[in-house]
Amino acid sequence: MDAVVLEGVTKRFDTLTAVSNLSLGIREGAVFGLLGPNGAGKTTSLRMIMRVLIPDEGSIQVLGEPVSERTQDLVGYLPEERGLYAKMKVREVLRFLGALKGLSETEAAQRAQSWLERLELAAWSEKKIQDLSKGMQQKVQFIATVIHKPPLLILDEPFAGLDPVNAGLIKDIMLELRDQGSTIILSTHRMEQVEMMCDAICLINKGCNVLNGDLRAIKQSYGKNTLRMEYSGDGDFLEGTGLVEKVNRFGAVVEARLKPGADPQEILKAALLRGVRISRFELVEPPLNDIFIEKVAGANA
Amino acid sequence: MRKVWLVVKREYLTRIRTKGFIFTTIGLPLFSAGLLIFTMMLATRQSDHTLKIALLGDASFGKNIAAGFTEKLKNGQPLFQLVRTLEQPQSEQGARDELAGQVRRGLLDGYLVVPKGVLEGKAVEFHTRNTSDFQAVSSIRSAIDHAVISRRLSARGIQIDNLSELVRGVDLTLVKVGKGGESEEKGQTFIMAFAVVMVLYITLIVYGVATMRSVLEEKTTRIVEILASSARPFQLLSGKILGVAGVGFTQYLIWTIAGVLISTYGAAAAAAFRPGASVPQFHIPLSLLIYALLFFLAGYFLYASLYAAVGAMTSSEQEAQQAQMPVTLPIVAAFLLYPAVMRDPSSQLSVVVSLIPFLSPILMTFRIALQTPPFWQIVLSLALSMATTVGVVYVAAKIYRVGILMYGKRPSLVELLRWLKYT
Repeated sequence: MDAVVLEGVTKRFDTLTAVSNLSLGIREGAVFGLLGPNGAGKTTSLRMIMRVLIPDEGSIQVLGEPVSERTQDLVGYLPEERGLYAKMKVREVLRFLGALKGLSETEAAQRAQSWLERLELAAWSEKKIQDLSKGMQQKVQFIATVIHKPPLLILDEPFAGLDPVNAGLIKDIMLELRDQGSTIILSTHRMEQVEMMCDAICLINKGCNVLNGDLRAIKQSYGKNTLRMEYSGDGDFLEGTGLVEKVNRFGAVVEARLKPGADPQEILKAALLRGVRISRFELVEPPLNDIFIEKVAGANA
Repeated sequence: MRKVWLVVKREYLTRIRTKGFIFTTIGLPLFSAGLLIFTMMLATRQSDHTLKIALLGDASFGKNIAAGFTEKLKNGQPLFQLVRTLEQPQSEQGARDELAGQVRRGLLDGYLVVPKGVLEGKAVEFHTRNTSDFQAVSSIRSAIDHAVISRRLSARGIQIDNLSELVRGVDLTLVKVGKGGESEEKGQTFIMAFAVVMVLYITLIVYGVATMRSVLEEKTTRIVEILASSARPFQLLSGKILGVAGVGFTQYLIWTIAGVLISTYGAAAAAAFRPGASVPQFHIPLSLLIYALLFFLAGYFLYASLYAAVGAMTSSEQEAQQAQMPVTLPIVAAFLLYPAVMRDPSSQLSVVVSLIPFLSPILMTFRIALQTPPFWQIVLSLALSMATTVGVVYVAAKIYRVGILMYGKRPSLVELLRWLKYT
């Protein structure tokens, strides 16, 4: 069953059409990546799923029922721009936000306590938000998002500003919630995170769905047309072969998109002739980053 | 309703616990009570010793003045004593210098210079170190007055034994004719009406701005994004306005209790310091309280929702400060109109301004406090005010709903109108 279904959803602001005839389904229990360039209509779509905005056309269903005040309580939202009541105590903020999502205040207070313990913030529960470091505030905000154990989680750049230890902690909790049946919508610009975490994606551009489906299937449809190499020696030999469309250098690693029909063996041969020492030579599917750029830049060209 | 209640509770509890609230609520009455008692103690404190006065001028006139020094200290000694009279000094300047020297050294408390033409209106001089002891100065003045008057009378052949009996002024007692009968007026009607206007004026602005700031805080910290995904904007807005109103009521409840205590014990304290001091008694009619409450509520919801809309449509404190001007203006206008209404509470102008919705919460309450206007005017004013409030809250809620999610530049009026059409 699909946790979220959008059918022909359109939202306009004056002359701007923020979302145009968008249809998509998000499978229950999946980690779903909602991607798109800045201003593509991601936040507007998310706000409609949360019933902050009402679509001009089309319909939205969350967990089998049309969006309503009731479905709002089923969603946990972590906005990209973080912020909490600076002068309130950690415990009070969590109790308030938990209760606002339908928990009783006692229940919210209890859950806040156990979450604070889990995220090693128990000692700070009586402190004001403004006394916490930025990373701690982010963790408190994450607790506020999941405190009511929502079946649908909407996370906008959940790892931004977190150190690797805390990012790992948050990632583990996300996957744990997914294993318990929650559906997660992940909105991010970090394509490597999407590749590692998401089962399915939707790429929207200018309010339209430009690419939608299972992430593995999407990548497979492109085939293994990308060469990932590590080597030392003549750096520019790849361009000299005339067999690659474009080269993407990341320092140690180089990724090259092969021209259609090009034989990677020819490249290997050219490398040997030029005296290039190869420590890695791998044919892979194109990285999501490239697909993103291709789809968005291609459409905007 | 549950969500509104949660918002009300959060707003109320976090505000009531701030140092600012505790300071203004408890500190202010304590401070004003302390100030009142302190100044009363100082003002009624008499000199603790007889003031020694010298006189430069006609000795017999000096006797007349000395006869007017009837005031006594607590211990029965006279307040003033004429210790020396210099009738015809060799040099007037020399005598002045000598007396001034004695005053400076503390041998004298002051000296009077009575010129020849005093009966024809020439000024008498009083030289003293302490020119701000108003009680002493006024006693001296009245003693000189009496001396001059009795001199003038005797020049016309009239001898008076008890002059002060003759020149005593007449007391004018003001009696206010009101609905409930007649009552003696000692200025309490005006004081009360003015106090009501001040309280309304300050409350509407202070709590309106508090609402605006609160909306703005949620917007700038972006917590409003979470709130908006958890409750309807109207629930958030009404919860906030009610929460701030609750803080206001708490504050006024504390102040009212403090005020009752101060005026009860204050009157007793005043009587203890100055027996016979007349303290006007305030009897606030219950009807005035009820009307004031109704008009306050209509006005508060009107202005608080407008202030909230201002908070929602702006993105920073400075922007909000500028954008609130049009909202604050009618409150200030109503306040500035009070002298015109006071002069004649039933004039055409007074009737009209007390019916205009944005002005009526302050001005109709003021009229009711001054002299009860016809019942139909009160009802009409209240009805107009409440109808306007309902309309304004509706519009403000729409602006709030769109504004809280909009960042960037402040919307123009045209854009605001377009916001009203968003769903």
